[in-house]
Amino acid sequence: LSATGYGWLVLAFPLAGMLVTSFGWRVLPGRMPGWIATSAIFLAFLSSIGALVDLQDHAEDDRQLVDSAWTYAATADFHIDMAILVDPLSVFMCLVVSGVSFLIHLYSVAYMESDGGYARYFAYLNYFVFSMLLLVLAANFVILIIGWAFVGAASYLLISFWYRRATAVHAGIKAFVINVIGDIALVVAAFLILDHVGSLDFLPVFEQAGDAFSTNDGTLVAACLLILVGAFAKSAQLPLHTWLPDAMEGPTPVSALIHAATMVTAGVYLIARTHPLFELAPTAADIGAAIGCATLLFAGTVALAVTDLKRVIAYSTISQIGYMVMGVSIAAYGAGLFHLMTHAFFKALLLMGAGSVIGAMAGIQDMDRMGGFRRAMPFTFVTFTVGALALAGFPLMSGFFSKDEIIAFELNRGGFYAVLGVLGYVGAFLTAFYSFRMVFRVFYGDPVPEAAELEGGHIAHGEPLNPMTGEPEDTDVGFPGPEHHIAERERPMKGAMGTLAVLAIVGGYIAIPGVDNVLEKFLEPTFADSRFADTHPSTGAEWIGLVVGGVISIVGIGLAWWVYIREPGTAMRLRERFPRVHTFLVNKWYFDELYDALFVRPAATAGAFSRRVIETDFVQGTIVGGATGIVRVGTSFARAIQTGYLRAYALLLLLGVAGMTLYFLLNSS
Amino acid sequence: VTIHLSIVLFLPLATGLSGALMPRGTGRWAVLAGSLAVLAYVLVMLIDFEPGGGLQYVTDDGWISELGIRYSLGVDGLNLFMVTLTAIAWAACTFVAAFTEHDRPRLFFFNLALAETAVLGAFMAQDLALFIVFFDLMLVPFYFLIGGWGTGDRVRATTKFVIYTLSGSLLMMAAAIALGVLATPDGGNISFALADLRERSVPLGSQEWIVLLFALAFFVKAPLFPLHGWVPDTYRATSIPVLALLSGVLSKVGVYAFLRIVLPIMPDGAQHWQELFIILAVFSILYGSILAFSQDNIRLVLAYSSIAQLGFIVLGIFALEEKGAQGALFQMLNHGLVTVVLFLIVGVIALRASGSESLAELGGMAFRAPVLAGIFLVTALATLAMPGSGNFVGEILILFGTFENKLVYGLVASAGVVLAAVYMIRLYQGTMHGRAGPGVESREIDPVNLAAVAPLVAIVVALGLYPNFVVHRTERDTTQAIAEARQAGGAQEVSAIR
Repeated sequence: LSATGYGWLVLAFPLAGMLVTSFGWRVLPGRMPGWIATSAIFLAFLSSIGALVDLQDHAEDDRQLVDSAWTYAATADFHIDMAILVDPLSVFMCLVVSGVSFLIHLYSVAYMESDGGYARYFAYLNYFVFSMLLLVLAANFVILIIGWAFVGAASYLLISFWYRRATAVHAGIKAFVINVIGDIALVVAAFLILDHVGSLDFLPVFEQAGDAFSTNDGTLVAACLLILVGAFAKSAQLPLHTWLPDAMEGPTPVSALIHAATMVTAGVYLIARTHPLFELAPTAADIGAAIGCATLLFAGTVALAVTDLKRVIAYSTISQIGYMVMGVSIAAYGAGLFHLMTHAFFKALLLMGAGSVIGAMAGIQDMDRMGGFRRAMPFTFVTFTVGALALAGFPLMSGFFSKDEIIAFELNRGGFYAVLGVLGYVGAFLTAFYSFRMVFRVFYGDPVPEAAELEGGHIAHGEPLNPMTGEPEDTDVGFPGPEHHIAERERPMKGAMGTLAVLAIVGGYIAIPGVDNVLEKFLEPTFADSRFADTHPSTGAEWIGLVVGGVISIVGIGLAWWVYIREPGTAMRLRERFPRVHTFLVNKWYFDELYDALFVRPAATAGAFSRRVIETDFVQGTIVGGATGIVRVGTSFARAIQTGYLRAYALLLLLGVAGMTLYFLLNSS
Repeated sequence: VTIHLSIVLFLPLATGLSGALMPRGTGRWAVLAGSLAVLAYVLVMLIDFEPGGGLQYVTDDGWISELGIRYSLGVDGLNLFMVTLTAIAWAACTFVAAFTEHDRPRLFFFNLALAETAVLGAFMAQDLALFIVFFDLMLVPFYFLIGGWGTGDRVRATTKFVIYTLSGSLLMMAAAIALGVLATPDGGNISFALADLRERSVPLGSQEWIVLLFALAFFVKAPLFPLHGWVPDTYRATSIPVLALLSGVLSKVGVYAFLRIVLPIMPDGAQHWQELFIILAVFSILYGSILAFSQDNIRLVLAYSSIAQLGFIVLGIFALEEKGAQGALFQMLNHGLVTVVLFLIVGVIALRASGSESLAELGGMAFRAPVLAGIFLVTALATLAMPGSGNFVGEILILFGTFENKLVYGLVASAGVVLAAVYMIRLYQGTMHGRAGPGVESREIDPVNLAAVAPLVAIVVALGLYPNFVVHRTERDTTQAIAEARQAGGAQEVSAIR
């Protein structure tokens, strides 16, 4: 089988899994849908390895393979094939996506067991992974946009998976609409590219972009900015990030899937994929890097203040994606994608740990209510801490190498980029602090009643409440399920978290400065055309960066220890001292309120106005006969019609047609 | 010359007539068999059709030779899928209707069958006068179907429906006669055959007002803002299978006629009004969308969404660019299919909500009706033109065509895509998700509606997988239909530059 053959298989398995679980929901017993879906993703992972092996057999300048299955749509200069592109970048993404998704599926097999929508859940999950794989394998802009929108639809379905919750339904539509904004931006960008380059296939576009556009050509900058809008909508960057924290309404493994392996990394992938365009439009690339940097700081500050465990992790994701966007925008492609991979490991792990804790808390997500789970949940505690260490960039953990690689590139390019690098260190400090704010608040301190109950060998059960609003859940429908599952008691969950914990530790060793650089070498064929291919920080500079980063991380963790363990009242005192800052942060900089005032309410007002005024007075009034005279004419006309003229006319018409038909029939014979 | 199209055309009428003469309970089955036979015939034709082969299965006979009117039918890329849509939609809706109880069933099914003949005739006519005969004939059965079997304030609804469409028709008839007369060369014979009219020329000044009159008739039918005054009452009053046909198929006749009649015969006139029609289209997109997400009645959500979708189709046609027209034609098929499904689902939903069609009272239906929810979801996503659906291919072609010539209007129209996501997801959630309303029963879709809807959904999915099946078969004729109007535009631009 060739690399592209494996590429098609990568898509086929999740699609088949989706079809089997969605059509077989009535007959598949017990955990069967879960195992079917999980094996589908595992087979996709194996196929990705197959593609990798075959690709490495090709010569280095022959590792971008396109295969077309059928002509999707062709008219005029618009010619689209259903085609995939298998190259190091897409294979790398397939491996990360299918690998981490497989573990999330495995975790879900147990975690979702008592949910009434078990089969539906796995059908959606397979669809989600299929969409993401289609996105990364697409060989042209249209297929990419299809995968792109499928991911948006899948996330909508999973976010509002518990569809009887008003908050979940609302979060779903929000995510969907913001994603559609991104889709449209990509459509317009695709048009600009087609109009100037004459093709929508990636490889020809990238090859000919240099001839079609001069550097910083206005149209190209516009196209790249539109691509950024698409990327930011998916990757939850400023100002299109508001859907992601709300996306936590979905089941926790879904959050892991959205946040770690799929979806949010799509924007990073897109920038990396279209890098030849961004290198020709450095203005757009710089804007991307600046927004990535702003996002990472903004989200870092919010993560300091919110108390919902899953939302802290959500803002952490937004912040970490900021690093990746910064990386791929400044042409540090290897570094950006390296961080994408390590982040997938430790973020999936953190969310799984959070899911385990939430299970033990019987659905409660508020950190104010948690504490002291260290002894009750030793496995969750250890793995969660490993994830937090990796996130915080603790020396020799995976996040340590990947995050600092991005910053090292920035410092190396100097000027504006060096400023971004320094701000990246500020973000790293925030990261270290909020990561251990979670660890210390959830696992340390006195055990809360739920933790004490668990130490006694029993998982707490409370009345199921919506964690956001406190409303009682609609339990007669069977979801979320009555039972709660924690890692300590479920082998699939343990297996997934254990694997990820190991990866979160060793994942960084594939690119240690001066020792090895497996990832960048592997990705080279994709990025060989980059004009920055040879600008690489020196090993010495990288190690200095690593030391600085390590120190910042340890200081951040230490400060968190001081605030939450050593002097437990400090956080409260700070909050009382700076109430405005706290309110501002807890309200997430008021983005939701701003959008509500700017878009949602005006649209609703316009709708109400149109309905009440334009429709009734103008259309029905003026056009059907507004001024009294016209009304009178209109009504008398209407009366005339009702009293039979119309019927007479209709009958006449009918008779006429019948007569003419007869005439014709007689005439023609 | 073949007889195939005449068989397709008159088969529904023949079964309708024979059904009317049969005993009370059996007439409906005759009409159903007729619509299924038409569908089978059309599907064979679809397979047999030669892509890019011009007008096929032509029937061309003299009819009223003194007036130059011919009985002339033909199928090419422009109407192949319109005929297919008609046959599919009528088969599905007749099927549903056949299992529903009606007063005076023989008359109902006769009207339904007559309507199919009229619509097929309008789509297949290759003579302007013949087109007008069928276009006006459509009004008759629908007048009776709405007035006789509607619900609520159906007198008001039919009155408005008839006033609007009749005034449009009369204006169009006047325009058509004027066109035929003005196009007749000195000493030549008058002819209404479209092929002749394409050869002949009409002075620009006359083209302008003739196009405007045609457009009025077609925009009323579509409908486009501000000629949609008949829509709310009519949509509320019409019974479901009839409404599915009205909204899914009838709305396409007018916009189709732009491509068949207006653009090829009066390219300069079309070019003259391009800007105005594009503005109307864009306004309809935005206005229809905004109203669609502020309606409470689910029928009216779909009614206003139709206004927005038809706005997209008109936009694509008057972009006067190949991709735009191609997208518009494809979108007519896509929108027709999803609309039929959506209205049949509305009927299913109302049955499960004690007859209520108010979003405020609906909700939570998905729980025990996963198949219903799944079908609705797929159709709703296609309707909002999610990438991966045929609707998306139609819409992206429309937008690309518009961007090419009128970038700003295209960008404004893009906002309509986002709004479509809002109102369709709102509609889906409002009925399927959330807590169940007090009068709502979560019950799976019944076999009859499932059998009617499932094949249509399968077609919608298939069109998303392989849209080129349609695009390939329609490309040549669409390109030709707009070629002259497009050149007229180009010529004007060139002279403006000079």
